[in-house]
Amino acid sequence: MDGLEQKFLQLSWKLHPDNFVNMTEREKEMSLQRSSRLNDAYRILRDPVARVEYLLELEGMRKEGEHKQQAPPELLEEAFELNESLDELREAKSAGANLDVLAGRLRAAEKNFGEKLHEVDDELKMAAQQWDAALDADASEADREAVLQRLNELLNRRSYIRNLVAGVEKELAE
Amino acid sequence: MGRVVGIDLGTTNSLVAYVDAKTGQPKCIPGPYGSTLCPSVVSLDQDGSVIVGEAARRRLLTQPERSIYSVKRLMGRGPADVQDELKLFPFRIDPKSKNVIRVMLGDKMFTPPEISAFILRELRNWAELYLGETVDRAVITVPAYFNDAQRQATKDAGRIAGLEVLRLVNEPTAATLAYGLHEKQRGHVAVYDLGGGTFDISILKLISTSEGDIYQVLSTNGDTHLGGDDIDNLLQAFVRERILESEQLDLSPHAELAQDLRKSLIAAKHELSEKDSVTLRFPLPGRRIFTHEFSRTELESLIGPVVSRTMAPVKQALADARLAPSQIEEVVLVGGTTRTPLICRTVQGYFGRKPHTELNPDEVVALGAAVQANILERGVSNMLLLDVTPLSLGIETYGGAVSKIIPRNSTIPASAQEQYTTGVDNQTGIDIHVLQGERELAKDCRSLARFTLKVPPVPAGLPRIEVAFLIDANGILQVAARDMRTGEQHSIEVQPSYGINDTEIERMLEESIEYAEQDFAERQLIEARTESGAILAATAKAFANPQSAEIPREERSNIEAFVAALKEASAGSDYKLIRKRIDELNRATEHLAELLMNSAVSTALEGRKLAEV
Repeated sequence: MDGLEQKFLQLSWKLHPDNFVNMTEREKEMSLQRSSRLNDAYRILRDPVARVEYLLELEGMRKEGEHKQQAPPELLEEAFELNESLDELREAKSAGANLDVLAGRLRAAEKNFGEKLHEVDDELKMAAQQWDAALDADASEADREAVLQRLNELLNRRSYIRNLVAGVEKELAE
Repeated sequence: MGRVVGIDLGTTNSLVAYVDAKTGQPKCIPGPYGSTLCPSVVSLDQDGSVIVGEAARRRLLTQPERSIYSVKRLMGRGPADVQDELKLFPFRIDPKSKNVIRVMLGDKMFTPPEISAFILRELRNWAELYLGETVDRAVITVPAYFNDAQRQATKDAGRIAGLEVLRLVNEPTAATLAYGLHEKQRGHVAVYDLGGGTFDISILKLISTSEGDIYQVLSTNGDTHLGGDDIDNLLQAFVRERILESEQLDLSPHAELAQDLRKSLIAAKHELSEKDSVTLRFPLPGRRIFTHEFSRTELESLIGPVVSRTMAPVKQALADARLAPSQIEEVVLVGGTTRTPLICRTVQGYFGRKPHTELNPDEVVALGAAVQANILERGVSNMLLLDVTPLSLGIETYGGAVSKIIPRNSTIPASAQEQYTTGVDNQTGIDIHVLQGERELAKDCRSLARFTLKVPPVPAGLPRIEVAFLIDANGILQVAARDMRTGEQHSIEVQPSYGINDTEIERMLEESIEYAEQDFAERQLIEARTESGAILAATAKAFANPQSAEIPREERSNIEAFVAALKEASAGSDYKLIRKRIDELNRATEHLAELLMNSAVSTALEGRKLAEV
């Protein structure tokens, strides 16, 4: 059991509304508010992506609901090809043509982007560790800013790839 | 304050349980018929009194238009949602129903929570009679996959029945609690719960800590309209078609016959859990008998589609918990429908491990509810339940899309805060539409509530209002709003899309007390006497039949002795004694009943009671 989970369970014993059923309305309300915040916090902190999003929000780097959807330059070409294949598949579908070749190509692309997603996740993990290290070392504002920029860039890249993969999954499933 | 009990408010049967203070073990409470199962059937008598349970179930055959079963299928749903159910269930819904469905029993109308409240009241009476104490609080179980409206409707039913609902607990979670007490379990547990009308799959993680055991639900999925009822409907459709083919008889206009067939098919289905084949003999008008040899293979090929429909939720729940089937250490089967061998085999095959069935699948949920009731009553415990919300909570955004604010399988209580402002000058309200579901468009999700945030007429963008959405430990949504500039709390009148408001609940509570005015024991006595009158009349009629001369004199005097005993008991006020005498007379007249039947019919009516001939 990791430290985060342990802490979460400890606090759950203390705050959960089940322990406050026979208490005053005020105490019940406080238990409800605090245990919901505890659960919200755990939900965000245990998910590496949500955790970074939350950090960037705290640091004012990212606003809720605001996602950059421009293609990262190094992915432009592959993304363009993928979108073309998707268009072809849709056309072939409406024409009732044989989809095997196209579907095969898309599956390969899906695999390729799935791997890229893993790469980004690894990079994200590393950058998150850099952030922790920067805090521990009491790094300069400029240094910290650089790590945050890097995290933000990785998140954007991740959500772009994620959307591509989801688009392919959806098309292939239909 | 009175006792707290645990109640399983089921589609087909409901149960009430408590924890014995001496043994610390949960126990289901039997009703007046000796069974712990109270059929979830409600019937309205001509004199305006309400009959619940076994007595009401018998009236399904004789007075279908005054009786209702499987009302759980209607809980928290609007008229448009239930069109499919209406094709398969004999619900008589008031065509003028708007948001809240109203069901007709005779010429009176009731909402589904009111009908459920009659069942809850009945169980409360069972418990009070058995425990000799007042019962005023309860833990009630709901299918894990119930949405907000269905949960709210269940809670309303509790209030209408005069019970304080301490907690709504998810049925599979309750079952795990009961198993946990029965035998210590560990690691990842999958609970497959197929009841009369609902299907749930929950994945839990059991954790031992220094403070005690934590039951953490990792994910849940299901279908709130899938269960044994669907199997019954498939069988019914299959046999009706055969009857139409071989006898040229369409059962559709014959409500009583259809109910009768349903009953026979359920019996055949239960028998097929034990035997490899069973012969259905069903009497039709004109002394005809329809027979069909049901093999288990045939049954399994008929119900295969129902079993398959449960597997997609199972896979989704595992994926959400990020686990493979092989990582599940224990599998638990819950709900009467899991007695079907095909289901047991399918589940065992998928997880590669033999499921637990040690506890009675009909009782295990009520037992777990009693355990949770006991935990809450005492306020301290060495067991803690961490449950999740089954469906994502979202709000409608521009263009009818849904923005998810609390994802499914979040541990509850859970919350999300959203900030709102105005788009045009002097705008006085901001409309908010709250939804539940996984789909991307608002029209495909379940509408929970719509409300308007009132704002002062000021330039656009100036108001800043934070709305807090909170799902409580019952899985029910609460909404609060705060003006971020002044810190002032806004009061929000959230009108649930399919719910009943507080004033209506108060009125229903008052009315339900009127219906319940008759004392429980008094009502039992009336029911027993009515039944006694029926069998006495049937016996007298049988003796008047010349054919009855064929029975031996000894047997006749034996029956006469039981008749006298029943008459004497019926003059008294002990309803249990009357029931005992009724059973005795029924047994004594079995032979007579058989004799009086046409020989062809007699085989079909084997084991019937005289009053039913």
